[in-house]
Amino acid sequence: MNALVSATVPGVTYGCEFGLMAVGLVLTYRATGVFNLAFGAQAFASAFVFDLLSRYEQVPEWAAFVVAVVLLAPAVGLALDRFLYRHVPARAAMARTVIAIAVLLAIPELIPLLFGTATRSRIGSLGLPANQVYFHLAGTPVTGSEITTVGVTVLAAVLLTGLLRGTRFGLRMRAVVESRRLAELEGVDAAAVSAAAWGLSSFLAGLAGVLLLPQMGSLDPTDPLAFTALLVAGLTAAAVASLRSVPWALGAGVLLGVLETVLQTELPANSVWSQGLLEALPFVLLVGVLLVNPRLRTLERSQDPLAGVDPPPPPPSVSVRDARLAGPMRWGFRLLLVAFVVSSLTWVPGNWVFSLGQGLVLSVIFLSVVVVTGMGGQLSLCQATFAGIGAFAAGQLASHLGLSVLLGALVGAAIAAAVGTVVALVAARASGLLLTLVTLAFALFADSVLFQFSWSGGGYSGVTVPRPVLGPVSFVSDRAFLLLALVVLVVVMGLVVLVQRGTTGRVLAALRGSPVGAASVGVWEARAKVTVFALSAAVAGLGGALFGSIQGPISSSDFQYTVSLAFVVVVLTTGVQTVEGAVQAGMAYAVIGQALTYLPSRFSGVEFLLFAAGALTYAAHPEGIVEYQRTRWLQRANAVLAAWDTWRAGRGPGGEQGTDRARALPSAIGGEAG
Amino acid sequence: MSEGAALLEVAGVHVAFGGVQALDGVSFQVGPGEAVGLVGPNGAGKTTLFNVVTGQLRPDAGTVRFEGRPLGGVPSHRRARLGIARTFQRVEVFPELSPLEHVVVARRASRGEGSLWADLLGRGRLSPEEHRSALDLLRAVGLSSLAEVPVAALTLGQQRLVELARALALEPRLLLADEPSSGLDAAERASVARLLRRLVEARGTALLLVEHDLALVRQVVDRVLVLDSGALVAEGPFDQVVTDPRVRQAYLGRAAS
Repeated sequence: MNALVSATVPGVTYGCEFGLMAVGLVLTYRATGVFNLAFGAQAFASAFVFDLLSRYEQVPEWAAFVVAVVLLAPAVGLALDRFLYRHVPARAAMARTVIAIAVLLAIPELIPLLFGTATRSRIGSLGLPANQVYFHLAGTPVTGSEITTVGVTVLAAVLLTGLLRGTRFGLRMRAVVESRRLAELEGVDAAAVSAAAWGLSSFLAGLAGVLLLPQMGSLDPTDPLAFTALLVAGLTAAAVASLRSVPWALGAGVLLGVLETVLQTELPANSVWSQGLLEALPFVLLVGVLLVNPRLRTLERSQDPLAGVDPPPPPPSVSVRDARLAGPMRWGFRLLLVAFVVSSLTWVPGNWVFSLGQGLVLSVIFLSVVVVTGMGGQLSLCQATFAGIGAFAAGQLASHLGLSVLLGALVGAAIAAAVGTVVALVAARASGLLLTLVTLAFALFADSVLFQFSWSGGGYSGVTVPRPVLGPVSFVSDRAFLLLALVVLVVVMGLVVLVQRGTTGRVLAALRGSPVGAASVGVWEARAKVTVFALSAAVAGLGGALFGSIQGPISSSDFQYTVSLAFVVVVLTTGVQTVEGAVQAGMAYAVIGQALTYLPSRFSGVEFLLFAAGALTYAAHPEGIVEYQRTRWLQRANAVLAAWDTWRAGRGPGGEQGTDRARALPSAIGGEAG
Repeated sequence: MSEGAALLEVAGVHVAFGGVQALDGVSFQVGPGEAVGLVGPNGAGKTTLFNVVTGQLRPDAGTVRFEGRPLGGVPSHRRARLGIARTFQRVEVFPELSPLEHVVVARRASRGEGSLWADLLGRGRLSPEEHRSALDLLRAVGLSSLAEVPVAALTLGQQRLVELARALALEPRLLLADEPSSGLDAAERASVARLLRRLVEARGTALLLVEHDLALVRQVVDRVLVLDSGALVAEGPFDQVVTDPRVRQAYLGRAAS
């Protein structure tokens, strides 16, 4: 009994950290409508600056607190609102989640760029002296940092609950999230309210970061994503609270903290239980809560009554194209393809051949994002996990059974498809944000548990996937492998296009438009969703096996959840609706990565600028940057053609009709070209 | 209409939303090929009743039978495949698809056609015959000139016609039409009325029609059900029912008092 109590006291503190994270997620979601996965990264940024100022720059603690939490954190929130979230069209709920992920990935790039990469181990703390013992509770010492954490967390939760439930400002925030336009019609300054909401939630992130500091062993500026345990538990507590209730989020967080601490002390060390169960338990809990809590299913159900005021999403760029451009574009593409193959076989230097091959392989993996997100309309955050399954399967089969890598890749794709089916079946009734969270939980589970076995991810040493040899033909050299990757990519692209233009693609388009309408004509939504997940997982698995083959040695860190997040951001900002989008994303990813190696190392953060620039355009054009630019270019080309028609019409009879047609085409589908 | 011959049989259906009784023990039958109007003031429970019949909503009590088969636990898409089609009060079209594709998706989905394998083997494309028959259907509702335009670019009235064409693509035994004429101009209303009547007479499709335009209801239906506050208050031929004092009270009574 005494042992229980002595485990409970630190458990409560630990749980308050989970609770604070959960409260932050709940507050941001309610106040801004964004599921802000970057909350933890924002917290880290403030913690880092606080620590930098108070310990290394000898600034007084209170002044450091003011700068890091009171000034910097809300400023970050205001900037996010002003430059990103405000521009996202109301209909693009998924785009907001993706932008949050982009921010999550960008912050770790930015911090080393600004402050260098040295890891800090002397950590400052806030409030009462961290290690001083103030009193004993049932024989357990209670330290200053514990008192501060619990006190500030409870205070924050009480204040926020009051704010959301009892004040006009809270009501306005909720109204703006529900329908920005409707709130504006009621005389609410929506821009100011959402800016304030972002400022507030980012302030909370900063506060959380500084409070959690003393609990972290060290601060590595390049790795603020290391707190997986915090993220998982925070997500679980937020899910228990249905992303709605601040007190529930705090309560659930505390309970989880206590549970974890008690289990750690009560379960016998070094038993199967403490090793297997304890590691998998948080994920099982998370998925369990996500699927069992019925209130999560109605998360995104409320619709903005004024959503119809938004212009409809732009038509795909292909439909804007004047018919006369089709021929030249097709030939131009063929020419480009031939030039690419010839160049990469002859004059392109070896390191670039490797990168281009990587780009092709990534393009295959990215096609899986086109399938699940572009066609299926669901945001999956475990595509790298599926790729990992394919890669490890091919590697293990090759090394243990001597199976050909190409065959192993197909087996890997099949295994990935099977796992994808299971994930989709588990999440059969979930969609939208809820499904996204289930996939995230699966990715985190694979990172921490599934890929850590010697039979899967190969543990520390990893797995080596050989290059394929097909009879007399060897694909061992980079140039030969590039050709193989190109063939596979073209085949997979062709298959995806067939699915897109077939029944499955149309049924999925119907489901994206109206699930109720689709059901009314006999569309079985659950089956369509499982199909698209399985297909996407298979494509990712195949691409993953090729990725393993081009890399050689691979380990679980190659397929971490952050890799999935990066994939999603890259593909969605480039263009997720077309197969070309995946290829452009894949090639850009590889080519930019290779090009950056020519820059001095301190410019490595340039990637951040690319991410940021991407996010800025993406916010306003969720169809993807390439798609948006191509539509613009095609519209310009159409305008030139129309001018040409007009000019010709003035010179001869019969031209009149042609002019009308050329003009009518863009306007019939809502284009801007005149 | 004899007991066993009913196409749709609704018996004692109760639905409550919180404290509000949306449907309070509603029972009625629709025979094969019969056109029945369902009228009543806003909030009477008409759309709720549709949602119960098509399976979007599970009733708290009561049963729905279709062709004698109880539908409890049968999901929406299965009911559509059994031959129950519907249109929606708030249009539920697929914005990215053209009217033609709406018809094609409805045809294929209602027959359970189109597996992933078929698509991968290139068999998912539109056959010329499929294209032609879809165009025929669109011509019947007056949309053939807009067959290839994304539905997002159409007017509300045109979208209603797309929904109607999509529902008809199921070749339904029973069509539930939820205010098909709202948002349409006079000429379009007249053509919708003709279309519905022809559907009943030529194809023998049973029709359950919710509509506020009573002139249109009178033109199309054989019989009228009047729903008020979740309960049926009158039933019979149109001219007889509209003079029923209970019906007048349902529409005017509370407004007058």
